[in-house]
Amino acid sequence: MRHESPSHGIDLDALGRKKQAFNLASEPVTLEVPGLSLFYGSKQALHDVRMNIPKHRVTAFIGPSGCGKSTLLRCFNRMNDLVDGCRVEGAINLDGQNIYRKGVDVAELRRRVGMVFQKPNPFPKSIYENVVYGLRIQGINKKRTLDDAVEWALKGAALWDEVKDRLHDSALGLSGGQQQRLVIARTIAVEPEVLLLDEPCSALDPISTLKVEELIFELKSKYTIVIVTHNMQQAARVSDYTAFMYMGKLIEYGDTDTLFTNPAQKQTEDYITGRYG
Amino acid sequence: MTDMAKDLTTAAPPTPRLDFNTPALQRKRRRRALQDRLARWYVTVGGLAVLGAITLIFFYLIQVVLPMFQGAELSAQGEPQRPAWLAEQGQALLLAVEEQNEVAMRLDARGQVRFFEAAGERLLGQVALPIPAGAEIVSLGRDLPGSNRLVLGFSNGQALVFGHSYQVTYPGNVKTVTPRIDYPFGETPIPLDPQGRPLHQVAMNVGSDGLLLAASTGNQVLALELSREENLMTGEVTLSERRLELPQLAEPVKALLIDPRQLWLYVINGRSTADVFDLRRQELNGRYKLLADPQAEVTEVTALLGGLSLMVGDSKGGIEQWFMARGETGPELKHVRGFQLAGSPIVQILPEERRKGFLALDAAGNLGVFHSTAHRTLLVEPVAGAGALAALSPRADQLLLESAGRLQSFALDNPHPEVSWSALWGKVWYESYDEPQYVWQSTSANTDFEPKLSLAPLTFGTLKAAFYAMLLAAPMAICAAIYTAYFMAPAMRTKVKPVIELMEALPTVILGFFAGLFLAPYVESHLPGIFSLLLLTPLGILAAAYGWSRLPERIRLRVPDGWEAALLIPVILVVGAFALGMSGHLENWFFGGDMRLWLTNDLGIKFDQRNALVVGLAMGFAVIPNIFSIAEDAVFSVPKSLTLGSLALGATPWQTLTRVVILTASPGIFSALMIGLGRAVGETMIVLMATGNTPIMDVNVFEGLRTLAANVAVEMPESEVGSSHYRVLFLSALVLLMFTFVMNTAAELIRTRLRKKYASL
Repeated sequence: MRHESPSHGIDLDALGRKKQAFNLASEPVTLEVPGLSLFYGSKQALHDVRMNIPKHRVTAFIGPSGCGKSTLLRCFNRMNDLVDGCRVEGAINLDGQNIYRKGVDVAELRRRVGMVFQKPNPFPKSIYENVVYGLRIQGINKKRTLDDAVEWALKGAALWDEVKDRLHDSALGLSGGQQQRLVIARTIAVEPEVLLLDEPCSALDPISTLKVEELIFELKSKYTIVIVTHNMQQAARVSDYTAFMYMGKLIEYGDTDTLFTNPAQKQTEDYITGRYG
Repeated sequence: MTDMAKDLTTAAPPTPRLDFNTPALQRKRRRRALQDRLARWYVTVGGLAVLGAITLIFFYLIQVVLPMFQGAELSAQGEPQRPAWLAEQGQALLLAVEEQNEVAMRLDARGQVRFFEAAGERLLGQVALPIPAGAEIVSLGRDLPGSNRLVLGFSNGQALVFGHSYQVTYPGNVKTVTPRIDYPFGETPIPLDPQGRPLHQVAMNVGSDGLLLAASTGNQVLALELSREENLMTGEVTLSERRLELPQLAEPVKALLIDPRQLWLYVINGRSTADVFDLRRQELNGRYKLLADPQAEVTEVTALLGGLSLMVGDSKGGIEQWFMARGETGPELKHVRGFQLAGSPIVQILPEERRKGFLALDAAGNLGVFHSTAHRTLLVEPVAGAGALAALSPRADQLLLESAGRLQSFALDNPHPEVSWSALWGKVWYESYDEPQYVWQSTSANTDFEPKLSLAPLTFGTLKAAFYAMLLAAPMAICAAIYTAYFMAPAMRTKVKPVIELMEALPTVILGFFAGLFLAPYVESHLPGIFSLLLLTPLGILAAAYGWSRLPERIRLRVPDGWEAALLIPVILVVGAFALGMSGHLENWFFGGDMRLWLTNDLGIKFDQRNALVVGLAMGFAVIPNIFSIAEDAVFSVPKSLTLGSLALGATPWQTLTRVVILTASPGIFSALMIGLGRAVGETMIVLMATGNTPIMDVNVFEGLRTLAANVAVEMPESEVGSSHYRVLFLSALVLLMFTFVMNTAAELIRTRLRKKYASL
């Protein structure tokens, strides 16, 4: 990895990514946010956010700490429901269906919209059992199916070669990077449509980070990926579209190349050039 | 960021603002290091002291317990004596030593009684028994062990009853033992055989009704009952007699013994046959073969202390214990257990006078020390040549032996013969019992009582009490812990948890007091209510929960998340009031007005007021806080990230709980259960006050029990220091300690394994 910080924005060429022509308006939409506000008690954390998450693309949320990017991410699989006194106004449409409507099976929604957290959180079980956990809770217990799923998911998470000989060892014996890829394998094993990544590399060393980033690049052909990150280089490296949030508001949202090289908003420019955050 | 990095690397070291090396600061640093060292030492010494204290307790208990398992020891006192007076005496029929071990007595075949110093063999006095002219002594019989009365059978068909007694006085502060011979039934011999034939065997028993004499001449058995009446004014003794009719036997009689209640007459005849006569009905009860080996022959028969057991010695050195017990058709003589001395014929069996032990001497001069109940052989040692005669002192600590014209006394150290592995843990066939059983009954009023020292009923009681307590406490405490830690609103949790933990501080004596004096009678009178409470409470809670989920959201949303448990308080109160209130009606409708009577009469289930149900409720209540507190901490400390990870994979909260949270918390929940079990096993006060302390082995929840701990508390004050009973109580304490030690060690091993497997992040 090259660590070169030009004084204005991110030098995308230096990050080694291929320039691609992206046009948000022409992408098929997976998640549609027609207007969403969120309150913690009386405090408003999200202010009428409107955006469309394109299908099979990587969308990054950037912004300073406390800007609401993680909160917004958690709205996509309703993890905010678990927070005391949290109230959501508005809607989020997954494939045209509002996930906040009455009678939604939240557990099923979370299967379709998988999530990977900041810190690797494998269960204190074997590697194998970690991967099949999501299948078992759906009631799938056929060994053949599970074996196939384990191999497929671990290969998908680029972990298979490292762990195939010790599938029944405890997952807690893996390194941090391996654990995070195991968590990703566990998440894709239930074949979600959307993958939410909440700062997935913040607890990892640079080599592990690189591996996870390569994995994200691989996965986007099959999944719609939303990633929250503090690391602008990372956002620039892995994402196709980037949303910049500030103080609970969506300030700017567009294709990554444009946002980093030619931001439309002053606040965006200030942030990516390191004037705050 | 980059500017700052540059600063750090390129700037010259600035002059320090603070000097960290002033003498004052250096002193403080040294003090800090000293404090640290002291603290480390203090902790190390403290930890080692705790370990040392536990080890010392352990070794102290072992040191008290160990003497019980040592055998007997026999040591000769001085050289064999050949006193001058002994040379001119006839052949010895009997030797005896009195209680103080100072005076001994010897009876010879010519009817001469000699009293002599047991230590010095100096002659103290002599008495000639009034033997009828022209008659000879043919046989000698004795009353039960512990009695000094004897009977002599003469060649003219007469018998003489006499006793030897020893009076201890202190003239001029010197202990003096004065021996004397008395004749409780007169000095005139009693004619037993009207035909005047020699009495080859003779036996006697002095009961409350009078004297029962039995004798045999050849194949004929004679029995005579004498009632003795003493005139209070004149002191004159009048005897009224009754002759019992007994049939003739086919073979010559070898020995006669009378049961202490004068119910049975045992006639040993032939090689090894015992005919038992029912003296009340004057008929034969049965004919029993005493020895399995057809080659063996009965050589000696003696009654054990109390007279219930016959010890049958045979020509092969075996000693078999027999007593009357209920058989299929009625009382039968049953073989109980056997002992083996060396291989020579048994010539003499000496029962102890205070315990159920006995000594046996064989023809080759081997002496064996045994205990019947414990089925223990404590000593086998050659002590004399052939033809020896022995006497055991009443305290069973001195043995006097006459062999080849010489007298030798031995000190016998045999303090705890009644304890053995089989007596403590096995089924033992006690006298007057119909079959082998586990019984704890350590003391009784009379001396010929057989102590029953089985720890099995106590261990069983301990486990039973712990089982019923855990049956109540474990599910309640674990479920409460899981709910409190996982579902309950934090505000409610901060109130609930300390309240339950406060229950732990309740003195158990109060709980026991409450359980014994209030709960036990209340449960007894409200049995249907208690059972419907146990049944209806979970059902009521489920029904209330279902009803709640069906209520419109408008009402449901008024109760904040995690506070729903508070809604159950009125539900439980109503269900409880209903169940207990219905108790009387239920009893009237289904159990004829009294469930307790119904249980006992219709179902045949015994009912004690203070029973395992009461203990289960009271001790369960005491154990709940222990389990709850640790289990709750364990569940609560499961990392939130695991819960979120599981939920994010599409698991419901319940799936998350059962598959991730409980699994991760399992080491903690397991140790909570083990600590609860340890508490239930060791708990003393509650079981002492609420169980009735009956040491029975029955899983019946309506019967009482006695635990090891309660047993120590009950019996320790009344046990003599150093006695076998005292040491057995220490042994039960040791068992309790070992039990908790083994259990805790196992639990700790399992817990560490679980923790290694399910360690949370």
